[in-house]
Amino acid sequence: MKKNLLIKNEISEISRLATFIEETGEEFGLELPLIMSLNLVLEEAVSNIILYAYPKAMGGEINVTVDRHDNLLVFTITDSGEEFDPTLVPEADITLSADERPIGGLGIYLIKKIMNEVEYQRVEGNNVFTLKKVLND
Amino acid sequence: MNVTITTTAGQTLVVVEGRVDTTNSGEFEKQLAELFKQPQPDIVMDCSEFSYISSSGLRIFLTLQKYVNAHKGKLVVRNMQSAVKEVFDMTGFSNVFTII
Repeated sequence: MKKNLLIKNEISEISRLATFIEETGEEFGLELPLIMSLNLVLEEAVSNIILYAYPKAMGGEINVTVDRHDNLLVFTITDSGEEFDPTLVPEADITLSADERPIGGLGIYLIKKIMNEVEYQRVEGNNVFTLKKVLND
Repeated sequence: MNVTITTTAGQTLVVVEGRVDTTNSGEFEKQLAELFKQPQPDIVMDCSEFSYISSSGLRIFLTLQKYVNAHKGKLVVRNMQSAVKEVFDMTGFSNVFTII
């Protein structure tokens, strides 16, 4: 089973991710809390691309696919922006107090926390971000 | 997303409803602007109808807590839904905020 969503490189397009993952999750038979977590992962990944891979607000598209193989969900997010490896973004230190905490760094932290595996590749001028989630029975 | 702010006897009740994500976090911040003018804030944030938060929303919560600490105020977050609470737990925000 494979589902696909093509969005424009614009912040307003992020709203479409919620509908996409809700419909896909329902089709794949996923539980609601997991769907919410996956929505969060997609939003964090896509907003990073919009902010960092397309810093000059140039046009462009972001392609999101979800594929299910038995108990494994594989998300592939592809864009043709500037080279940007989200796995290299420094993660937030979540043990700090409010006053010590910098603002930011939580997006990539949440992605890595929720997903089982994340991988970045630069392929023929495209950023390809692959995220895997193992489904528990 | 909808924010309602009511101040009674020096205490401010903030009711947050709906989703706070990358698309509307700027608007959320704007709606909370008046809290950042209070000399010694005493805030209760009701989250019973607050269903989704991403890192862009967390940033604003953190900014508010920093402001409250700097002004020796109080901020209590109550009635959090499990999806939002889970994000607070994952990011260590549950240790930073007073959640009841």
